[in-house]
Amino acid sequence: MSNFTIPVGPLHVALEEPMYFRIDVHGETVNNVTITAGHVHRGVEYLITKRNVFQNVVLTERICSLCSNSHPQAYSMAIEQIAGIRIPARAEYLRAIADEIKRVASHLFNVGVLAHLVGFESLFMHVMEVRERMQDVKESIFGNRMDIGANTIGGVRYDIDPERIGYLREQLAALVPEVDEIIEIYRTDSSILRRTRGIGVLSYDDAIDCGVVGPVARAAGIEYDVRVKAPYAAYDRLDVPVHVLKDGDVWSRAMIRLMEARTAIDLIHQCLDGLPDGPTVAMDERPAIPPGEAIAKCEAPRGELIYYVRMTDSPKPERVKWRVPSFLNWDALGIMLRQAKVSDIAIIVNSIDPCISCTER
Amino acid sequence: MNFLKIFVRNLVKGPSTIPFPFAPAWTPERMRGRIQFKLQSCTGCRACEQVCAPGAIRFDKTPEGLRFMRWHNTCVFCGMCEFYCPTDAISQSDDWHMAHAVGEKYGMAIREVIPYIACTGCGMKTLASAPNPVGVAPPFTPEEIEQQRNLCPACRKKALAERGVQS
Repeated sequence: MSNFTIPVGPLHVALEEPMYFRIDVHGETVNNVTITAGHVHRGVEYLITKRNVFQNVVLTERICSLCSNSHPQAYSMAIEQIAGIRIPARAEYLRAIADEIKRVASHLFNVGVLAHLVGFESLFMHVMEVRERMQDVKESIFGNRMDIGANTIGGVRYDIDPERIGYLREQLAALVPEVDEIIEIYRTDSSILRRTRGIGVLSYDDAIDCGVVGPVARAAGIEYDVRVKAPYAAYDRLDVPVHVLKDGDVWSRAMIRLMEARTAIDLIHQCLDGLPDGPTVAMDERPAIPPGEAIAKCEAPRGELIYYVRMTDSPKPERVKWRVPSFLNWDALGIMLRQAKVSDIAIIVNSIDPCISCTER
Repeated sequence: MNFLKIFVRNLVKGPSTIPFPFAPAWTPERMRGRIQFKLQSCTGCRACEQVCAPGAIRFDKTPEGLRFMRWHNTCVFCGMCEFYCPTDAISQSDDWHMAHAVGEKYGMAIREVIPYIACTGCGMKTLASAPNPVGVAPPFTPEEIEQQRNLCPACRKKALAERGVQS
């Protein structure tokens, strides 16, 4: 068998986002992978220093559509830390609700795409259809399907009345059996199992070495979840179970996402049960932000998202730097793709749920 | 095999897509769509201009007064202007039908002018903007708003002080 170098991406039928892989193959087995980034660089780190603190809430939301709640949330948390603002209890619960609603939709999307890559189109359509219920929830409660605009400096921009709580509970109740059904299919269906079990394995030690985060880490046996390790918003008052699997293969990562989507539904119910009364923002007018620097982190659907913000006397931040989960996870792709078959490349790449628009911003 | 059950169920249920544009599409009440502007309530505080991330809102001074200008095609529908507007002069409607011919693109904007008037207290040239209600207790009555509208900033302050409140 001979050796070849094949390009995968940046525009490729099986990749959801533009990534470029140069893959050295021996026959149909991958020998070496070189990942090249930079196809969707938009210069957001520069743009953010050209806009004021409040405009940046919107700009950070538009970095990525799937984690579009986590970015402004971490950013707002950092700014609030600089300004010494304590957000009201109701706002903390509403932030957690927004976070979990986004998590359900994001995880179902990734798991749906896995079915598409496996070639199980009807399952893909079905999962996307189930996810559509969550999209309708977002549109009804926040007013937009992706950029939900829940956060602002000092609190949240939306509120839910008893009527909407009823609507949300009703939709969640309908979602539970649908998600349970999907979990059962992914757990037992032979065509899914054949393509995902034992594929793209990342061992515990490699996961530690690469510093992977989120579902990728939890599928490799690392019990790490920011919501538990460093609780933010209302998570210190919620009972957040952390799902961990040992195998570290594509299937484990999909299962972790499905179980987390199911858990997220319970967490929303917990939030609605404990939702305190009161204001949704700390102050009516826009607060003044003093000079200072802060770090904030939250658990995005893809893993730990860290924001660093430095403010000077100007209303515009001097520096905003963020470490996104996909940055660590795609480094592990080199290990996952080692000795993989060419046909599994797309499935393995999708299994880390790569978010290129966050990573290259 | 258990997927077959779902497959049959979905087949019986029929398509879940909507026949748009041949029938109206479902639009939730809170849908964040086209911005509406109520000139009568605008205080001219320019908070919306400052929080607008894409720069869709602009205020400029014209000989007639302070002009509010908003470009619908630049708007990202984030709702920050609505959230920070102290008088709800800006609101988001659920109208998302924004498709238009290229020739109409310069019409996709709101242009309204807060006119200059002579202050009824001192006769100075001033903007006929609504008073800022933030921190005013008890809140303005509609009559008071109209009265304040015709005053310059200094006379407004005086009128507020006479009313016995701090603004």
